[in-house]
Amino acid sequence: MQQQQAGGSETEVTWGDQQNINQFGRLNNRFHDLEEEIKAAKESNENLEDAGNELILTDEEVVRFQIGEVFAHVPRDEVETRIEEMKELTTKNLERLEQEKVSILSQMAELKKVLYAKFGDSINLEED
Amino acid sequence: MASSTAGATERRGIPGAQFVEDVETYLTQSGLDVNSALSFLQERLQQYRVVEMKLLAQQRDLQAKIPDIEKCLDVVATLQSKKGTGEASIDESDSVCLWLGANVMLEYSCEEATALLQKNLENAKASLEVLIADLQFLRDQVTITQVTVARIYNWDVHQRRLRQATGAAKDP
Repeated sequence: MQQQQAGGSETEVTWGDQQNINQFGRLNNRFHDLEEEIKAAKESNENLEDAGNELILTDEEVVRFQIGEVFAHVPRDEVETRIEEMKELTTKNLERLEQEKVSILSQMAELKKVLYAKFGDSINLEED
Repeated sequence: MASSTAGATERRGIPGAQFVEDVETYLTQSGLDVNSALSFLQERLQQYRVVEMKLLAQQRDLQAKIPDIEKCLDVVATLQSKKGTGEASIDESDSVCLWLGANVMLEYSCEEATALLQKNLENAKASLEVLIADLQFLRDQVTITQVTVARIYNWDVHQRRLRQATGAAKDP
C-alpha cells in the first residue's frame, strides 16, 4: 500500500494539491484492478486456445459445450464458431484494458512529477 | 475535477472529510488541541474503514451476480435458437422457468424471460456503477483525512521545535 505523507513543516497543502493526491490514489486503485482484469482476460484466452486445440484433436461430431451451468450437445462446427467468437471478444477486451493501463500509467507519471516537484521528500508515491 | 470550494459535504450517508486550509486556524476554530484533533480524525478513519468493508462486500456480490445473469441469458437464447430445428433433445417448450430467489420459481415465455433477465442485468450494472462511485468518494475522504493527520502532526512537531528554539534563545 502506498504511503502519502504530505507537508513538511514549511510546505502548505492547497486544495489543488489535495485533489492531485486524491486523483493519484484513484488512479493507483484503478491500476491494480486493471492488472487483475488483464490477468483474468489472459487466462480466459488461454483456456479458449486450449479448447480450440482439443476440438481439432477430437474426432467426435458432437461436443459437450458449456452454456451457463449446463453442458449441451453441440455440433462441432458450431462449437468452433462459438470459440472463435469468444476469443475475439476476449481479445478485444484485453486490448481495451491494456490501453487503459497505458493511459493510467502516464497520468500517474504526470502527477508524480507535479507532486514531487512541490513536496519533494515529504511525499512518497511509490509502492513499498 | 477541480472545484473552487474545498471539501465535499457527504454522499449517501458517508460524511465528507473537511479539507483543512490552514492547520493553526483549524485547531483554533475547532477548539481542539493537537491530540484531540488527531484522535477525532483517527476515529473518522476507522468509521470509513467499516463502511469500505461493507461496500466492498456489496461490490463482490454484484460482480458475481452479473456473469450469472449473463449465463442465464445465454441459456435462454440457445434454447430459443434451437426451437423448431429439431436439434434439441430436450422436449421443446415455449417457456422457461426462472429462480426468483426465496425458493420461488416462475414460468415465463422465452421472450418474457429474456426481457426480465435483461432488466435485472441492467439494474445490476447500474447498481455496480453507483457502488464504485461511492467507493471512490470514500477513498478520497480517507486520503484527505490521512493527509490532514500528517499535516497536524508535522505542524505540532514544527511548533515544538520553535518553542525549544525560543526557549534556548531565552536562556543565556
